[in-house]
Amino acid sequence: MAHKDLREFIEVLDKTGHLVKVKKEVDWDLEVGAIVRKACELQERATLFEKVKGTPGVRIMGGSCSTYARMALAMGMDADRPVKEIVKEFDKRIANPIKPMLVSSGACKENIIKGKDINLFKFGAPMIHGGDGGRYIGTWHAVVTRDPDSSWVNWGMYRQMIHNETMMGGLLQSHQHVGQMLQKYEKAGKPMPFATVIGTEPLCTMASTIPAGVGVSEVDLAGGLRKEPVDLVKCETVDLEVPAHAEIIIEGHVLPGVRVDEGPFGEYTGYSSAPRRPQPVYEVSCITHRNNPILTVSNMGVPVDDSDIVSTAAFRNVAVTALAGLPIVEVAMPPYASCHLIVVSVQRAYSGIAHHVANAIWGSKLGSYTPFVVVVDADVDVFNLGEVIHAIVMKCHPVRGVHIERNSPGHALIPFMDFHERLWGQASHLLLDCTWPVDWDPNIEIPAKISFGTSYPKELQDKVLSNWGKYGF
Amino acid sequence: MAREYDTFTDDISTIKEGVEITIAIRETDIYRTRVVKAIVSSSKKALPDWDTLWLRYNLGPLRPEPWSIKILADVPGLLIKKAIGDQ
Repeated sequence: MAHKDLREFIEVLDKTGHLVKVKKEVDWDLEVGAIVRKACELQERATLFEKVKGTPGVRIMGGSCSTYARMALAMGMDADRPVKEIVKEFDKRIANPIKPMLVSSGACKENIIKGKDINLFKFGAPMIHGGDGGRYIGTWHAVVTRDPDSSWVNWGMYRQMIHNETMMGGLLQSHQHVGQMLQKYEKAGKPMPFATVIGTEPLCTMASTIPAGVGVSEVDLAGGLRKEPVDLVKCETVDLEVPAHAEIIIEGHVLPGVRVDEGPFGEYTGYSSAPRRPQPVYEVSCITHRNNPILTVSNMGVPVDDSDIVSTAAFRNVAVTALAGLPIVEVAMPPYASCHLIVVSVQRAYSGIAHHVANAIWGSKLGSYTPFVVVVDADVDVFNLGEVIHAIVMKCHPVRGVHIERNSPGHALIPFMDFHERLWGQASHLLLDCTWPVDWDPNIEIPAKISFGTSYPKELQDKVLSNWGKYGF
Repeated sequence: MAREYDTFTDDISTIKEGVEITIAIRETDIYRTRVVKAIVSSSKKALPDWDTLWLRYNLGPLRPEPWSIKILADVPGLLIKKAIGDQ
């Protein structure tokens, strides 16, 4: 059964030893960010800050999904499940989306604020990193927008920075669905309604990170992940629906054609690489929130944090779908690569299979996010980074095995892109083909792998394993 | 008491000293953005009763020496600019 809301998930984390409740008063100005960042880098527990300076009654939660254990708990699994099991369960649930249910009201309506009482500063939004362009209130959340030409509703995680009490700014890019929707509204000269959803039970927020296809409403995928529908309520001032159990809802419109400096921001890549520049503006018309609301925060930076963990499943799922029909054995996205590298193992089927795999991945939404594809043979465990590195250095020919694709889609946050490339989303892709060529004779040209599992007869392996303790090990 | 503000620019020559300019600044206690008509000076020491204006590069690093700012008036709203790049 899905967690009813964030507070129920917090209780689970507390009972299972995955939460630190910080009762000491903390400062939203860098201290909260520093604590959450250090906790991520130590792979420590999630943090619930119960007393935030200057914001009575508001709590902040950091690192809710920054370990696989917490991702498993979010999905109702045991905390010690291996990564492979977690991501496969994710795939299974996503394959069965469940449409949401509209309800008349919910906890997110306990307080309704409009007009001159709107004040984005009252939720303790932190200055997360030194040098950030502002206080980011949207870092682990969903931004809800509707396509003007259809019933498609997009949920996405797009950072949001406070300009003043009633205005936010955020990075919205053309390769993202929200950027494409905004272009349609702006072409018509109309403001784009939005709703920012903060502090849902973890699977709803996780669903907003999935780079789903055009026309796919992530709320349906959230239902699939939860194995039950998400209850939605109508917003107060815009024609959108939001999770009824959310902690904080911010409603309003993105102003057409208006751009104001936003950023910089320490991002999921582990760098702050997109310079401050004019970005769209969100004008707030209403805020609703629960009593004693909890602001969920993700301090993205060097791996591993919430984004790295969740993208292992969310982005991997897109690749699995794109690779359907190819002789794939397994797919993995190491969390240390922050979704920028994917490893695929294949059956030794035909020449060019590595290119076929890479083209399928880059032809999907991952084309903008995952510049590095590594293809390995079936005997490599793609979830084992040591085996992957071994395959790269031993089997990827530095000339024949390295393939560059130029003029590829990218985005402003990718650090290796130069300034002009970041402004225009111009990237390049790299394929590392770590497979034995199919035209190599298996007995004469393909080297024999030296390992316990390949260099000894099966009977001897069984004998050694059954006597392992008797040998003194 | 002198207040502290900051602003972002990679090219400080774009901020004209000694004349009235319109500039977007942040209040560094709460990080609220304000647009103001102001006069700025690269010399902090020469203008002790003015407020302090720190300058940051567009990727965030702080320049070592602050400037001074005399705010003449607030301008309502935000400083609207032209889109740059792929938007």
